[in-house]
Amino acid sequence: MKKIAIIGAGVAGLEAGHVLARKGHNVILIEQKNTTGGNVRNWDRLFPNQREASEVYQPLIQQAVNDKLRILTDTVVMSAKYEKNTHRLTLSNGETLNVDAVLISSGFRVFDAHRKEEYGYGIYHDVITSADLEKIMAVNQKVRTTKGKEPKRVAFVHCVGSRDEKVGNTYCSKVCCVTAVKQAIEIKQLYPDAEVFCLYMDLRMYDRYFEDLYREAQEKYGVTFIRGRLSEVAESFDDRLQIKTEDTLRGKPLKFNVDMLVLMTGMEPTSLAELLATEFNIHRGDDGFFTPEDEHVNFNISRREGVFLAGTCKGPKNIAETIADARSAAETIINYLK
Amino acid sequence: MQERLSYDPFVLPFTFGMVYIIVYLIVAMARVINALPKEDKQRLAKGIFSKKIFISIKEIFLECLIHRKIFKHNKWLGFMHMSIAFGWFMMILLAHIEVKLYAPTRFNLPYYPIFFRYFMMETETTLRGGLLFFLMDFFLLLTLTGVGMAMYKRINKRRFGMRRTTRLRLGDTIAMYTLWAIFPLRLLAESFTSNVSGGSFLTRGFGLVFENFVSNPDHTLPIWWAYSIALGIFMVALPHSRFMHIPTEMLLIVLRNSGIKVEKKNKGIATISIYSCSRCGMCLDPCQMVSAARLNNRASVYFLRQVRHKEKETENTANACLMCGRCVQACPVGIDSCAIKQNVRDQRSLPTGTEQQYSYLPQPIASEIKPEILYFAGCMTHLTPGIKQSMEAIFKHANVNYQFMDEKGSICCGRPLLLAGQTAAGERLIETNKKIIAESGAKILVTSCPICYRAFNETYNLPIKVLHHTEYLERLIDEGRIKPQKSLKNFVYHDSCELSRYSNIYKQPRNVLRSIAYLQPTPYDGKDGICCGGSIGSTLLTSTQRRKIAIDAANKLTEKQPDCLVTSCPLCKKTFDNTTATDVKDIAQVVKEALIIE
Repeated sequence: MKKIAIIGAGVAGLEAGHVLARKGHNVILIEQKNTTGGNVRNWDRLFPNQREASEVYQPLIQQAVNDKLRILTDTVVMSAKYEKNTHRLTLSNGETLNVDAVLISSGFRVFDAHRKEEYGYGIYHDVITSADLEKIMAVNQKVRTTKGKEPKRVAFVHCVGSRDEKVGNTYCSKVCCVTAVKQAIEIKQLYPDAEVFCLYMDLRMYDRYFEDLYREAQEKYGVTFIRGRLSEVAESFDDRLQIKTEDTLRGKPLKFNVDMLVLMTGMEPTSLAELLATEFNIHRGDDGFFTPEDEHVNFNISRREGVFLAGTCKGPKNIAETIADARSAAETIINYLK
Repeated sequence: MQERLSYDPFVLPFTFGMVYIIVYLIVAMARVINALPKEDKQRLAKGIFSKKIFISIKEIFLECLIHRKIFKHNKWLGFMHMSIAFGWFMMILLAHIEVKLYAPTRFNLPYYPIFFRYFMMETETTLRGGLLFFLMDFFLLLTLTGVGMAMYKRINKRRFGMRRTTRLRLGDTIAMYTLWAIFPLRLLAESFTSNVSGGSFLTRGFGLVFENFVSNPDHTLPIWWAYSIALGIFMVALPHSRFMHIPTEMLLIVLRNSGIKVEKKNKGIATISIYSCSRCGMCLDPCQMVSAARLNNRASVYFLRQVRHKEKETENTANACLMCGRCVQACPVGIDSCAIKQNVRDQRSLPTGTEQQYSYLPQPIASEIKPEILYFAGCMTHLTPGIKQSMEAIFKHANVNYQFMDEKGSICCGRPLLLAGQTAAGERLIETNKKIIAESGAKILVTSCPICYRAFNETYNLPIKVLHHTEYLERLIDEGRIKPQKSLKNFVYHDSCELSRYSNIYKQPRNVLRSIAYLQPTPYDGKDGICCGGSIGSTLLTSTQRRKIAIDAANKLTEKQPDCLVTSCPLCKKTFDNTTATDVKDIAQVVKEALIIE
């Protein structure tokens, strides 16, 4: 029986932990937050079929309990040393762990929308992020403006913190486009009379069912898609939000008022990534995500021996991709420890 | 002291170089002065035939010989420059005194003072002669020390307070090595001859050693030839090298003190400025394009060289510059390289375009109620709405009767266009804004953006007072119209280039901030302020290059981990927001937070 430390108990960490435990390994999950399940826990329903997110994360959390995995929450790795095939990890709780392998599945964090100040997040009321909307939906199953009214006009802004050189993120976060389509439909399902707009650069409907969902949003629900980036937001005289954009397909500048603005915030490496990269001496790209030794075949192997990578710490992924990657990482670790 | 000879063919290389450089300088100077506009010619005449000339002479002495500004930067670097310039100058001066005293009839021979030791023999020892011998040797030693230091600087520049030095061109290399050769050759030549000509501790000392090899002064001719050739080569190479700064810097000082500035279409002083660059490289370290983004060729020293040699890259270098002015601040010669870059940009100005393109410009309407304050947020402030929101809250709290000039939609102040060299298009916006300002009837214009502030202040010629909101906030506090509460937080203040270096607004924001929190000093305060990297001055830098500069600047400013990095420019705030984990707020926001607003 070998000892494996998994850093990050989100979707990837939980799934990999389960596979490794079934093989009889001793798995320790180290989680920075006070709960396991990662970012998915903050989601209400998932694309493309509006399935409840809890249907996905609850079994993952239950698995870990059933497998009797040791889970350290509110804990981070402070330093790591590697000698004689053993990784010695010093944790924030003062404990020292000697393990045979380490799996980094530190995941992503949602882009902080305050950094796009021109969109007014934290400045104007009723400017929220996609993550906020999920939380609101999960708690209330309804959406209200700060004045307690039903929103009559809602705009979704794509690519907030993604594909934006000015905030330093040049990559696409992959899941926001389809999430916007899903959330736009959800608003229309709640309030069929509301006008819903999506302001996009490109629509990246890359996976199975996505294109159909996009069509459905237009044909069945009447969501309006405008190709143009949001330039700035201001408060209008009637206390709504005035947004300025451009319809680039018609070449016309646009200015209109909305009751609610939803910013589709992208994925960024977690704040832990820098520390982990230094302590384990592993590669990061210019975007801050970890880079495996081989991007096509051995995509779970890092530069450091016995340190493996899984999930969104390597870049944006959806849930199915993350789970597949976690299983692949577990398999790689099992072979390595043989 | 008695004359031994009055001529030898070895003086020819020197004399040729001397004639070459004098002719070159007279022609060049005539062309430059001729290129000056009429008003500037008048200014120059006033500058020469008035008290101003004494200021110029004093400045020439302090800067060209003593190198005061370089001393302030680093004493070793200052000593090196001073010892070569001042030492050499004193040797030339003393040599002329010697000729005047001992061979007055030869004073009209240009080579005579230079090779005085070869032509004269010491017949009797006098106190006056001894003193002159001593002084000559002393200044030769001083110069040699400087040359030695210059050689050492090539190996260890950090000792002289420099991380980077300039890469040399062929002309520079030839001139520099001949300059290095001149003084050791002079020492050798005068030492060899010292048994006849006389000398002091240095030349006589070496002479006693050399006498064992050569005792007849005529047999030392090859070394006098070498000395003369070195001088000749140096003087011929001088106008084609960085050492051209020696004569031109003096003229630049006179022109500057006459009140002539590098402005549009002003070729004369721009040319003199370009030639006055000694390529000392002191602008390399302050340039953040060099230190943070590793774009070495973009430094002002290389820009000036590119202009001088009409290189293809000139325009790109001019467009890449952030125009932060740190190089101008660091330049010991005081060359306004940013103004020269602006001249290069202006040459690309496009026509304004059709009237239709300007149809969006609003028609100004006379306002019935005359506001106390006209507030102009500016485009960048509209992209950082937290600032305008705070300003409005402060206005309301202080019961200020204000009018928000660009609330509904702004027209640009025009400065980004002017900076990009699009003068004609910029003028259109300026005209419209001027009308709007005049119609408002306000007495004070307050803006939140330092970029707009400079445009209003320097380009618009407004009949009303223009204040940046830092100044206005200070005024409100002084007048007791707002009473912010002091907290235990500690702040770091970032001096934006436009507001601090260009507009001298240092104290006002600090007075405001000290009244609400503890203000930590940084090494980048005031004139040494660093650029955030977001400057609209550059039209060529990529986001990645800007980001490198921004991260470096943010790290430097937040070294002491303040609670908040306070900015006064919306563009700087926006840039820092995305580069540091530290809280970044505008001064208006922190003041608003310190007010008790119901």
